[in-house]
Amino acid sequence: MAREVTLSGCAASAQAVKLARVDVICSYPIRPYTAAMMELAKMVAEGELDAEFIHGEGEHAQLSVVYGASAAGARTFTGSSGVGVTYAMEVYSPISGARLPVQMMIADRALDPPGDFGSEHTDAMSCRDQGWMMGWAETPQEAFDNHLINYRIGEDKRVMLPQFVCQDGYFVSHIPGKVLLPEQAQVDEFLPAYDPGPHVLDPKHPVSHGPQIRPDQGAIMDLQRAEAFLDLPKVIEEAVDSYNRIVGRSYSPFIEEYLTDGADIVFFVQGGHAATARHAVRHLRDQGVKAGLVKLRFVRPFPSRQLSEVLSKFKAVGVVETSTSYGGSMRGGNLLPEVRAALYDAPERPLTTSFMAGLGGDVVPLKDFYWMARILSSAIKAGRVGKTVYWAGLEEVSA
Amino acid sequence: MTPANPIPQEPSMPATVKTQTLPLLKKLSQIPKEDYYVPGHRTCAGCGPALQYKLVAKAAGPNTIFIGPTGCMYVANASYLCTPYAVPWIHAQITNGGAVASGIEAAFQVLLRKGKRTGELPNIIVMAGDGGATDIGLQAMSALMYRGHDALFICYDNESYANTGIQTSPTTPYGGNTTFTPPGKAIPEGKRLFPKDPPQLVIGGHPAVKYVATASIAYPIDLINKVRKGLNQKGPAFLHIHAPCPKGWKFDESKTVEIAKLAVETGMWNLYEWIDGEYKHRERGKELKPVGEYLKLQRRFDHLKPEHIAKLQAFVNARQKAPGVPVKVPVPMPREA
Amino acid sequence: MFNVPKERAVPFGCVTPAPVGEQPAMITGNWREYRPVLDPTVCNLCLDCVTLCPDACWKLDEAAEMVVWNPKYCKGCLICVNQCTGEALSKAYELDFPDGVVRLEKPF
Repeated sequence: MAREVTLSGCAASAQAVKLARVDVICSYPIRPYTAAMMELAKMVAEGELDAEFIHGEGEHAQLSVVYGASAAGARTFTGSSGVGVTYAMEVYSPISGARLPVQMMIADRALDPPGDFGSEHTDAMSCRDQGWMMGWAETPQEAFDNHLINYRIGEDKRVMLPQFVCQDGYFVSHIPGKVLLPEQAQVDEFLPAYDPGPHVLDPKHPVSHGPQIRPDQGAIMDLQRAEAFLDLPKVIEEAVDSYNRIVGRSYSPFIEEYLTDGADIVFFVQGGHAATARHAVRHLRDQGVKAGLVKLRFVRPFPSRQLSEVLSKFKAVGVVETSTSYGGSMRGGNLLPEVRAALYDAPERPLTTSFMAGLGGDVVPLKDFYWMARILSSAIKAGRVGKTVYWAGLEEVSA
Repeated sequence: MTPANPIPQEPSMPATVKTQTLPLLKKLSQIPKEDYYVPGHRTCAGCGPALQYKLVAKAAGPNTIFIGPTGCMYVANASYLCTPYAVPWIHAQITNGGAVASGIEAAFQVLLRKGKRTGELPNIIVMAGDGGATDIGLQAMSALMYRGHDALFICYDNESYANTGIQTSPTTPYGGNTTFTPPGKAIPEGKRLFPKDPPQLVIGGHPAVKYVATASIAYPIDLINKVRKGLNQKGPAFLHIHAPCPKGWKFDESKTVEIAKLAVETGMWNLYEWIDGEYKHRERGKELKPVGEYLKLQRRFDHLKPEHIAKLQAFVNARQKAPGVPVKVPVPMPREA
Repeated sequence: MFNVPKERAVPFGCVTPAPVGEQPAMITGNWREYRPVLDPTVCNLCLDCVTLCPDACWKLDEAAEMVVWNPKYCKGCLICVNQCTGEALSKAYELDFPDGVVRLEKPF
């Protein structure tokens, strides 16, 4: 029988890694993800988890260690936050291009300068182009489940891609929530042992991993990953469906809709602030505002087709941006440009704008969501958005 | 003599499952015939690093995995989509040879323990250049030594970043002309800095390391034996191999081995082992030839004046007295305005 | 879906099979200007040439009790000629030989 415990996101992630029977873990401390590694260290020390726990000399080393371990046939786990994520940048593409299904937990954190331990998505979002899967969890429960689901997807022979499994620093990584833990047998049924395939490093079958290529072969090298991402959504659907069945969940693979029936305005949110958005939507509905929430579970692969269908139902979409993209097309964060691109060919397009909120680890209180709702409702009345980006808590906007 | 390391340290990894013991050789005729670094690679004619790779691969044998950080022994060997490595080989970044090797070693340890694979822990050898070992790759090399992984880290030293067109590295000798240390009116010696000493970076600072040695392609039996001793040694080992580069040092490609020998005969390269706290020199106290005999064969030193050569000679002489004792080198003075 | 010309193909994950014995995709015998020439009557089988060739182009034929040269890969560096202890090796201009290979003006 599954048992219910109260765990922070970090602790939940550690439980998932243990149940996934990971072989090699590489640690390095940085707030706020460190607690996950501390939990795993205890498990290894107590003999509850049979894995090599390598003390990496830095985040770049962490990724390098799991690159080698995965190539040698191990199921691997590592993680980081903030500037640790960007320090390791060199190694992300070598891992994805070599088709090694490494898993990295990111408890996101604002990038320097200066030091700021609070949550922000920019660290992980800056790595979107590196050929990894990427998605956020809203709660410790979802973080736990996402780790297992991602191993299954990443290691699928049709995919063979590494995964960034993200959760908001502090809001999810540290605030405890209810987590239903499945039995080891259920996880074993869902997630078979990692089969690295014929390219594993083994003196019995020698291979050369990663020889130099000519420039005219570069596109073909890139195409391999591009094609894997085309096949990926189907595998995600299968894996989530299988997980739901075996473990007893009801996840939608790419996006979750909450109270969107007949909604005029929706908040589009990725990660922990969706939890506040749910409350906001309920209160708004109580006041007669037809509000809903669309939550994004995977930003890579970006579910363009699904979003285009779903978001077209609404009159106005407010994208909550917890990351920055200075000088970007929307002069705001990273999600609105992707949402607008997904909607471009839709026959019915909602109005869209974005709200910079939660940057630096700031809370996004209910009143900010009401403020966003007012702006979206005004936009519907006016027939257009005033601008593409608003900064929550920092500007007054007349309703 | 440096005392033996007073704190016996078990490597932090669990007991290795390697039982192989590679025998030491006495003569060239005992060198294994099989090549695991096979003909058909794009290294320059007369390439010193290619020669040491061939010898290392022979020494290690087929139960081996090579990790190849970016450098000549990657790019020149792996162009294009074909390599001369007949054993498993994996590319690493120039930054992370030690880390990638650590991951491979850890994977083998746990997979063997869990019964997910069978056999022995293979030889795990990092083949890093001087940049990948002591400069951009220093951190990863040190961490592998510190964590005690059962692996051999080889620094093949051609005294430059050669693959990118000969730029200075921390092992480029004082006075070496490279494209980042060209001699000129303001800087007549070209390179003003004295080099790092790679084995000394490892010795004494990493308690899990019990074997460090220097080697040269001019002494192939010695080189093969040191590779084998490093591989036979439980835990991490470090090997610093002198591998002259005809293109970078600017000498005729037929002279690669001759120049490697002169390096040893002039004291510009010292052959020794450090075994669990004890130094063992190949030939200590032998009269050295003047460094000039070594320098004059390489056009990378053509610009040196007698006062520069004298500085090099003094450096070489001081190093003979006691390796491990820091040598006083002249600190480069700020240039006059 | 895509037409990838055969010569531009890249294997999955850029992982290639390891070579066995030699790497025929990188013939280097057409690099040399000079080739080493062996006088077997003088050779003392010191094995320096076999040991010190970076391209493993000298091998000992135990049945013939003589060293044998591999023209397919020899780059003509002449380390063997320089190191030969028995004065059995000398250099000769490559195109003086009927099977002499025209040297590449520039590689690739």
